[in-house]
Amino acid sequence: MIEIKDLHKSYQMGSNSLHVLKGINFKAEAGELVAIMGSSGSGKSTLLNILGMLDGADSGEYTLDGVPIKDLSETKAAQYRNKFLGFIFQSFNLINYKSALENVALPLYYQGVPRKERQEKALQYLERVGLKEWATHLPSELSGGQKQRVAIARAMAAEPKVLLADEPTGALDSTTSYEVMDLIQKINDEGNTILVVTHEEDIAHMCKRIVHLKDGVIVEDKKVNQVRAEQYV
Amino acid sequence: MFDRDIWQEIFNTLKKNKLRTFLTGFSVGWAIFILVMLLASVNGMQNGFTGQFNDDATNSIFVRPGTTAKAHAGFEAGRRIQFKNDDIDYIKQSFPDDIEYISARYYTNTSAKYQSETGSYRVQAVHPDHQVIEKTIVTNGRYINEADLINKAKVAVIGRKVAEDLFKNEDPLGKFVEFNNLPFKVIGVFIDEGDDNAERVIYAPVSTYQRIYGNTNYISQILLTYNPTYDLTQALEFSGKLEDLMKRRHKIAPDDQSGLFVWNYAEAFDDISSFSAVLRAIGIGVGFLILIAGIVGIGNIMVFTIKERTKEIGVRKALGARPRQIVNLVLLESIFITTLSGFIGLMFAWIILAAIGPNIETPAFSNPNVSASTVITATIVLIVAGVMAGLIPAIKAANVKPIVALSDK
Repeated sequence: MIEIKDLHKSYQMGSNSLHVLKGINFKAEAGELVAIMGSSGSGKSTLLNILGMLDGADSGEYTLDGVPIKDLSETKAAQYRNKFLGFIFQSFNLINYKSALENVALPLYYQGVPRKERQEKALQYLERVGLKEWATHLPSELSGGQKQRVAIARAMAAEPKVLLADEPTGALDSTTSYEVMDLIQKINDEGNTILVVTHEEDIAHMCKRIVHLKDGVIVEDKKVNQVRAEQYV
Repeated sequence: MFDRDIWQEIFNTLKKNKLRTFLTGFSVGWAIFILVMLLASVNGMQNGFTGQFNDDATNSIFVRPGTTAKAHAGFEAGRRIQFKNDDIDYIKQSFPDDIEYISARYYTNTSAKYQSETGSYRVQAVHPDHQVIEKTIVTNGRYINEADLINKAKVAVIGRKVAEDLFKNEDPLGKFVEFNNLPFKVIGVFIDEGDDNAERVIYAPVSTYQRIYGNTNYISQILLTYNPTYDLTQALEFSGKLEDLMKRRHKIAPDDQSGLFVWNYAEAFDDISSFSAVLRAIGIGVGFLILIAGIVGIGNIMVFTIKERTKEIGVRKALGARPRQIVNLVLLESIFITTLSGFIGLMFAWIILAAIGPNIETPAFSNPNVSASTVITATIVLIVAGVMAGLIPAIKAANVKPIVALSDK
């Protein structure tokens, strides 16, 4: 599903060049649930940005679902993001004046789905994250966990190939974190490919595979026995 | 473009920042208000000028003979041209569809005497049509008619000042007054809005005076009005044809400027029109400069709004919003604020003008108003202004990197 070969990325910091990613090779099959771990400055966010087509690599190859991702125009990148990727952010990033339903329907809007159809679809996804009765509520009326579940519904609404979650539990307490991870695991059970960036060990162990980044290189890549989050909920 | 989501977003941002929206909107509304008021004032001035000239029929042409300056068709230069009665018939026959009213004028002076009162006055011997061409208002009695003309009747229509001078408080109608010792019957008294001198005039039938002065058929001047539906171009074209025809008839060189004079009132209006066009251009110029201040204000606020919404725009981009869609959103919001507030300014100006405009009636300024074309122009200007105001913020928004939305830890 995702294939990266010898990926390099450096940032220009004044006169110094900061080499963030120093040759990453990584492959993820469809249906995988991968945790990307590392301390801050390890390059995990940069990697996620490149995977999310929010940033370009300096060199190396990136193939997503058989499509080479290289030298994209802004418009093309937007189209690919919409088609291939669903984002889940640490701070949810819901649009605060839109109801839960409208937030979930937003990626469908950018896909050009007619209003009625996208509302029906958005409602289905809200139902899947257990928030159907909260559809008309604004994000400010939801708890942190509920917000993240809305964000997950939004990420899934466009039926992307890969879900990218950047510290999805970073702003949540542990009980809510497990609830969210439970949801992510269930989505993964249905066959969705999910990448989770985290620095929390317990969250990482709820994935099926852990990739450790350190100083811009992958130092460890191992399959783990998944800890089901359900038991903590 | 006209989809509910975009409008929902626009209304939301406006609602969240009511004071800010009001303040920015005010600058544009105010600019449009001033622009419309300036244009209305120019209109008012134009109306005032037009009113001044309305004393005479605005579709009138005066033809006056002169002295040739060039030798032509075997005649030497310096020949005096004399119009005669048949010139009128000739013009009538040549332009049956163009001419509305036509009259000759025969100028002379007379000393008038009634009992012990005497005075010296200008006499204009004319045809009945002259009343319409000069817009003479007869307050007592009647004007000269066809019968007077055929009978060469010694009748006179006298100006109000003449009546006051000679008759004092007496009613002049039906009285006989002596012009150069010949008795004329007063059949009417007229007033003229122009000035007192215009009321020190006596009208008499042209045929009567031609007989008195040696049985001639001479006339001093020809006045006529043309079809009032003609616009300026048609009017000028007609007077040009008339001039060519009269020059040919009197064997004047076509390029001779002094052989005869054709004075078309439309030309005066042409001058006034160009004068008010300049005024209007100045009005529009000043209005635009003020509008630019408003546009800059809106642009400024929009840039600020975009900065505030950077994160939201980043999220939208991450969700697949194309740069064009973001630009559209910002532009539409900008156009919406400018158009709405501009229309409010326009409505205010309109209401004020509708309320006080018709009451303003001075010689140089009357009934300032806005025409439909002004409103349409203002609307187009507003939409363009909205695009201009939104352009820089929209570009800024389109350049927002979605990375910004992610790097929030």
